[in-house]
Amino acid sequence: METPFLRLSRPLHVFSAAWVILLALVVFVDVMGRALFDAPFQGTAEILKNSVVSITFLQVPYAIFLGSMLRTEIVSEVLGEKAQLVLRVIGYILGMMFFAGLAYSSWDPMLQSIAIGEYEGEGAMRIPTWPVRILLVVCAVYSFIAYAIMMRLDWQGKLHSNTSAFPPD
Amino acid sequence: MASGLILLFIFALMMALILLGFHIGIVLGVTSALGVYMMLGNVDAALSIIGTTAYEAVRKDVFAVIPLFVLMGDIVAKCGAARDLYHTCDRLLRRLPGRLAIATVAGNAIFAAVTGVSIAAAAAFSRFAYPEMRRLDYSRKYALGVIAGSAVLGMLIPPSILLIVWAILTEQSVGALFVAGVIPGLLLAFVFAAYCVWRAKTDPTAAPTPPVDVTVMPADRRSETLGAIGVFGLIVLSIGGLWTGLFTPTEAAGFGALGAIVLAIAKGMRWKEFMQAIYDAGRTTAPIMFLLITASMYSRFLAMGGVVNSVSELAATMGLSPFMLILVITAIWLILGCLIDSVSIILLTVPIFAPLAATAGLDPLAFAIFGILIIEAGLLTPPFGLLVFTVKSAVPDPDVRIGEIFRGAAPYCILIVLVAFIVLLFPWLATWLPKQIL
Repeated sequence: METPFLRLSRPLHVFSAAWVILLALVVFVDVMGRALFDAPFQGTAEILKNSVVSITFLQVPYAIFLGSMLRTEIVSEVLGEKAQLVLRVIGYILGMMFFAGLAYSSWDPMLQSIAIGEYEGEGAMRIPTWPVRILLVVCAVYSFIAYAIMMRLDWQGKLHSNTSAFPPD
Repeated sequence: MASGLILLFIFALMMALILLGFHIGIVLGVTSALGVYMMLGNVDAALSIIGTTAYEAVRKDVFAVIPLFVLMGDIVAKCGAARDLYHTCDRLLRRLPGRLAIATVAGNAIFAAVTGVSIAAAAAFSRFAYPEMRRLDYSRKYALGVIAGSAVLGMLIPPSILLIVWAILTEQSVGALFVAGVIPGLLLAFVFAAYCVWRAKTDPTAAPTPPVDVTVMPADRRSETLGAIGVFGLIVLSIGGLWTGLFTPTEAAGFGALGAIVLAIAKGMRWKEFMQAIYDAGRTTAPIMFLLITASMYSRFLAMGGVVNSVSELAATMGLSPFMLILVITAIWLILGCLIDSVSIILLTVPIFAPLAATAGLDPLAFAIFGILIIEAGLLTPPFGLLVFTVKSAVPDPDVRIGEIFRGAAPYCILIVLVAFIVLLFPWLATWLPKQIL
């Protein structure tokens, strides 16, 4: 049951990382257009803004699976195996609570945004923002599931070095 | 409960949860929501701080700077240009004692101008500089220390993720902070290099003078020159564009990332390495961006509780002199540096410390550089010393022990703190260049 969620997270991560290159291109076109043809790329700022939010949340599930979310091990290191496991499980529950809260509180704004066809920018280059709202909810749910899967795998002792659902590169 | 008590309670809870090893971003988000709930007594309001902040916190085009600069640094590091830079510096320095160590410092200082984080540099230099220093019989401690120590320059010489985060939190101009980091960064590099020479001179076992000259194949030299020139070109393009006001930080980052890709293609980087660089960049970026978002939840909660006012009042009633204030702040940073990573430290403390320092009459630019330096010292101290662990995992020598790297890096740590106080005593080191340019 876990596998599809695990498998999907990595391509999503790579996809959003590659998206960054696209942003560099947008910036390039904007600056060159302004400098050479006095025609900046309309909507550059809007594209960048919405992309940053999207890129960040698309990468979160993989960061959870990989155990690369920032944390400190200074106290837990001195505890016994069992205590560490209990702490990690509480940590997963906290993570699930956070993303449940995020999904719940983003739900109504998403519905509203879809209903009114929310957009940003003006003139020819209108950037719709409702897809970002949907993405936020979807990624929040995905991240919730990711923490749940991590809890299960960790409990069954199937994690690598206690933090990662993936074997080391 | 009075808002002051709630703040204290939430802050204590937050620190406790962080120390217990929970994901820092999650802790920030959950405790902030809890704090808002305790103040307003309304679950929906508490949850909405999570939802609205998640959507709004990084919705500014300047935030694109972080993934773009990280990508630029990773590509340059992976395509072999960092190694070229190292060899070129090495050749130029032939006659100095401990020249491989100084080449490491110089290479790092230059490489720092194309990377925003220290990890890529620490990993890259561990892979090629360490074996070369060992080949010339440099002591392990000396070689490891200079690699871990000088990687710190990546965070100080612009572009720097820490400077970006600091600028965003304090609503200062990213460009001004970048420029402010240049002179202190060069000063630090100079102090590091001076220390390397001194050590090599006083202790020949640390860095013996090499008996033979190593000959370089002309083809290698051509490729190295291409790499070194390429890196300089990138610096001129992105950072130069930023300083001259031609580019906004976002534009400089965009051009830098594209320039790095062009350089990588010219250096014959393979598709697999390219994908690895993109993948690594994502791995560095995602946790930082997520932390930035949750830290905004925390600062919204702080603002709601009026924490800056209460802390300022507290500092005023305690009658702390600016000097004492700085000592307290420094102590807190050094302690936190032993516990959590630098970005988290900045996110947790700067919203409170920066206004305090401003009311104490400290220059905001100089204080920022001071803060970055002190916090960076934590990258080299046990137990969290991120750079030390990076060096350990990248160095191609399984015998190297963590303790050795920490001991080797200790002098650099002291030098960093020294330079930090120099910047505070002579704030023009940080403020002069921004005034000339902006």
